[in-house]
Amino acid sequence: MITSFIHSFQSELIKKRRTAASWLMLMSALFMPALIIFMRMISFDSTYKEVGLKHFWEMIWFRNWAAMGMFFLPLSIILFASLITNLEFKNNTWKQLHTTPQSLTVIFFSKFAVIMLMLIQLFIVFNIGIYLSAIVPSVLFRAVAFPAQPFPFYPYLKGSFKFFIDCLPIVALQYLLSLMFKNFIVPIAAGFGLLVASLLAMNWKYGYLVPYTYCPMNFKENQGKIDPSIHLHTCALIYFVVFMIAAYILYIRKKEKG
Amino acid sequence: MNTIETTNLVHAFSEKEIALQGINMQVPEGAIYGFLGPNGAGKTTTLRLLLGLLKKQQGTISFFGKPFEQNRIATLQKVGSLIESPSIYAHLTATENLAVLQKIYQCPKQRIAEVLELVGLSGTGKKKAGKFSLGMKQRLSIAIAMLNDPSILILDEPTNGLDPNGIIEMRELLKRLNQEKKITILISSHLLSEIEKLVTHVGIIHKGNMMFQGTLPELISKQQQTSHLSIGTSDNGRALSIINDQQLNAKITAEKIILPLLPKEKIVQMNELLVKNNIGVFEITTVKNDLETIFMDLIK
Repeated sequence: MITSFIHSFQSELIKKRRTAASWLMLMSALFMPALIIFMRMISFDSTYKEVGLKHFWEMIWFRNWAAMGMFFLPLSIILFASLITNLEFKNNTWKQLHTTPQSLTVIFFSKFAVIMLMLIQLFIVFNIGIYLSAIVPSVLFRAVAFPAQPFPFYPYLKGSFKFFIDCLPIVALQYLLSLMFKNFIVPIAAGFGLLVASLLAMNWKYGYLVPYTYCPMNFKENQGKIDPSIHLHTCALIYFVVFMIAAYILYIRKKEKG
Repeated sequence: MNTIETTNLVHAFSEKEIALQGINMQVPEGAIYGFLGPNGAGKTTTLRLLLGLLKKQQGTISFFGKPFEQNRIATLQKVGSLIESPSIYAHLTATENLAVLQKIYQCPKQRIAEVLELVGLSGTGKKKAGKFSLGMKQRLSIAIAMLNDPSILILDEPTNGLDPNGIIEMRELLKRLNQEKKITILISSHLLSEIEKLVTHVGIIHKGNMMFQGTLPELISKQQQTSHLSIGTSDNGRALSIINDQQLNAKITAEKIILPLLPKEKIVQMNELLVKNNIGVFEITTVKNDLETIFMDLIK
């Protein structure tokens, strides 16, 4: 089973080549850092002063993650999870894939593994982007010193990990929808609708029950605005497991496989 | 031994839409089995059931004498298929499309170049499959079906989109694969004329029922049985009585006397006999049904 999964995963990686999803992942990861580099370069005075601040790295983190966590990360996941899965519908290849000698379980998880790999790539590239957004002005302008504080590796890793957990329900539900609907618009529209609903629900008492709300709520948690009895990350993990089980059952039980 | 066998295969898409009504198909080892029927007869449904693309509702399917469901992965390892329109990734090249499946089948990498050569697509280089003509896409699909060096090829209307030259080349390729590599081929088509030069066995399906199944010689013998003489005379009643006195088993249909085919000498003798009895003969025609007519008769 594991060997079969590895072969299937390698096969899925070939399919990903030159797809819009790959470019989208790269653009999503680098958009905010690029914007911040630009902003810091045109606001030279504040850039000059802020590198010496005690909380410089924390400030850079929040600037990058604010729009990313709130909007770009969920939106990117909605788009690339749907694009990757829709490849089979778009090219009429489900029937070819389902007549290959591999179990449906292997097909299901190898495809999901590619989406997860892209998500991990997005986090890695984005964190590199955050680092670049901090040091590029110092590289380009002699007057701007390099940050005085060392790069806080552990807090960055911990913070990214929390966002990673928080976006898993989005990955799982988008995967489920993309497996079920041939029309690419359906999972995108559903995902976008849920994202807007989650933003609207952020200040609602039961907003934490909306599955796409955990990334935006991550900030509120950091600011101490979330009831400590609510375990956002646990809720996200529960939703993720439930959506994955539902996606697996629906996929396996599909009457027509291409 | 039958390589593929189905018994009482029934499939309904809804209560009103019954696609298959008990299909019993036997594809012998080493055969090229032509699966014929008009559009909507149930050919693709049968083939999709054989490959597990549709959930089986009733009946049994076996490959190499073993039930398909319990041996799905082992069976698919030996099967190459092309169902309906080509299944290829438009953003990848021909080689990359084959590499996608090479990873799964774990066949040698040089097999990719071999099958591309086999279908005449070696020179496509970096051209994306989405930019291929329909004929090229169809060839690439055949290459995909051939990649794992299968023992069975299941092809659903593989000549769709091919020009006449392409159809002839495809026919020769399939014949060669069958003869040289002993591959059993199940090929569907709605045109008998397209595959009668290729197949060894024929199954004719219509409205979800198998109307005929047997070897091509058996179908040809059916053709000979239905060929007949048609005679037009000035007095069919008397002529029928005279002809039947000769033990010829004639009958009158649509103001013509119809009787089984006869040798030339017998036809001359019968004509002389009728003229001697003062019956005017204005027409003697040999009606030979071709395979296409038999096919059409079976699906009427």
